[in-house]
This record gives sequence, C-alpha cells and structure tokens, in this order.
Amino acid sequence: MIIRYLLAALVAGLVAGVLVTPIQYLKVIPLIAHAEAYENGGHGIEPHDHHQAGLVSSAHAHGPDALGKGRVILAHAPAAGGGEDAGDASLFQSRALGTLTANVVTGGGFALMLAAVALLAGRSITTRNGALWGLAGFAAVALAPALGLPPELPAMPAADLSARQAWWIMTVGLTAVGLYCLILRREVPLRALGVALLVVPHLFAAPHPAQLASPIPPTLAAEFAVASLATGAAFWVLLGLGVGFAMDRFGTSEA
Amino acid sequence: MTTDSRTVAQGATNTRLAAGFFALFLGAFFVWGAGFAHSAALHDTAHDVRHAFGFPCH
Repeated sequence: MIIRYLLAALVAGLVAGVLVTPIQYLKVIPLIAHAEAYENGGHGIEPHDHHQAGLVSSAHAHGPDALGKGRVILAHAPAAGGGEDAGDASLFQSRALGTLTANVVTGGGFALMLAAVALLAGRSITTRNGALWGLAGFAAVALAPALGLPPELPAMPAADLSARQAWWIMTVGLTAVGLYCLILRREVPLRALGVALLVVPHLFAAPHPAQLASPIPPTLAAEFAVASLATGAAFWVLLGLGVGFAMDRFGTSEA
Repeated sequence: MTTDSRTVAQGATNTRLAAGFFALFLGAFFVWGAGFAHSAALHDTAHDVRHAFGFPCH
C-alpha cells in the first residue's frame, strides 16, 4: 500500500514538472535568456568588465573574469561562442529538453518529499486540501529562502555557492518544521516554537557578495524575482493538487 | 503465536515512518541532483530550472 501511495505521488510530481515547463517559458526563461545576453556581452551589449573592457575585445575580456569567478563563468563560457549549447556539458542537445527533464526530476522529488511529510505527520493530502499543502511547500521552499537569497539571474554577483546552498537548505528545513508546528499541531508551546522557527533563519544573514555591482539591469532582476516566485507558486499549487488527486484516486492515505 | 494488536499497530507505524523517511530521502536525492549537484553536466542541463526555482546557482 505504501509503495502505491509513493508511486502515485511520484507520478503526480512528474506531471507537475511537465506542466510547469510551458509556464516557465512564459516569463522566467525568456528573462534568463535576456540576462545571458548581458552575461556574454552579446547582442551589442558591452560586458561590464570594469578594468579590461577598454583594453581587449569583449570576447577576451571574459578570460580573466572567468578565472576570478571560478566555475561560475566556466559553465557558461561555451555559450559565449554564440550557439546556445555549443560544447556545453549538458546531457541533452536541446536546452528545452534539459529544462523539461530537470523539471520532471525536481517535480518528482518535491512530490515524494511532500508525500513523505504527510506520511510522517500522519495526515492525508486530498484534492480538497492539496492546494494548501502545495502553498505550504511554496512558502517553505520558495518564499522563505527568497527573503534572504532572492531568485537571481545569471551574471548577478553572488557569494560562495556552497555557503548559499547551506543557507538555503537550512532555511527551507527550519521553515518546513516551523510550518508543521504552526499549522498541524494544536499545542500552544509547539505553535510558538513554529513561529520562532519561521523567524530564526532570517536572523542569520544569508551569504551575500561583498561587491554588488552587476551587469544586469535592476529592473530585469526585479522582474525575474517576481516571475520566479509566481511561477514557483503555480508549480507548488499544481504539485499539491496533483498529489492530492493521485492520493484520492490511486493511493490510499491509510498507511 | 498470537500477534497482539499493539504489536501490529507498532509494526504499521514503523512501516509508515520507514517509508516516510525513505521517500523523504529519495525525493531529496532527486531535488539535489536537479538543483544542487555541482557536476557540470547536471548544472548545464538543469541551469534554467535552477534559476527559475530560485535555487542557489553559479
């Protein structure tokens, strides 16, 4: 029975991953592509290499910069050559196919985790409450970390990747436990603890780079942060509804 | 040879918890692979998704 329950959740997650892909293509992915034009200095946009830009051609200006930023730019360096994917390490020829695959895997992963939380908490996700489960997932996985680390575009300055990942994971974990205590428990001390857990991650400053100058126009970054959160909310509602529907239809929530 | 009901209930709870943790870790593994792994192949494949979801990237 539990295998069936988890398989149902997994399938719902895969479907949510497929469905969110065209939603991403409405706004966030065009914005990423736009930002990459600035990152690569392509399409007539000068890269902001403060010291070298005047001395070398823009194609070379990225060399020293790439060294300075480590793997960050290296991953994108092939794209500077022109073709979107020419020579990059992606598993697929098509960038859209890579995006679809990554969405499906992410959707399946988050769906399993959502179903796991329900299982561990002894609650059931149904079509009726699925959207609320999804919104709770959104709050924990997208909204809370975005308070410290707003969704960023390529080429935006950022602190050490591992430090940001650690902060992100800590924030998501504490927010999830906090929401559990606040929403699914009745005991007053636990609810107070829940509120505290929601606040605590934001008392530790998220890692930010010392230098904030960026080649990306601020308007583009703001537009992207909002688009990313809106897309994330749509994804999580789809995911919650999907898992709820799958549980009602195929999985028994009684473990 | 009779199984008392408390043992059965305990067994069911244990199965539920074990399955819950299994699913939690399997799901986390998927999300890690798509969103967090430092491998260049995974990064380049999932690049747009990482940015779209607001995962720390680059």
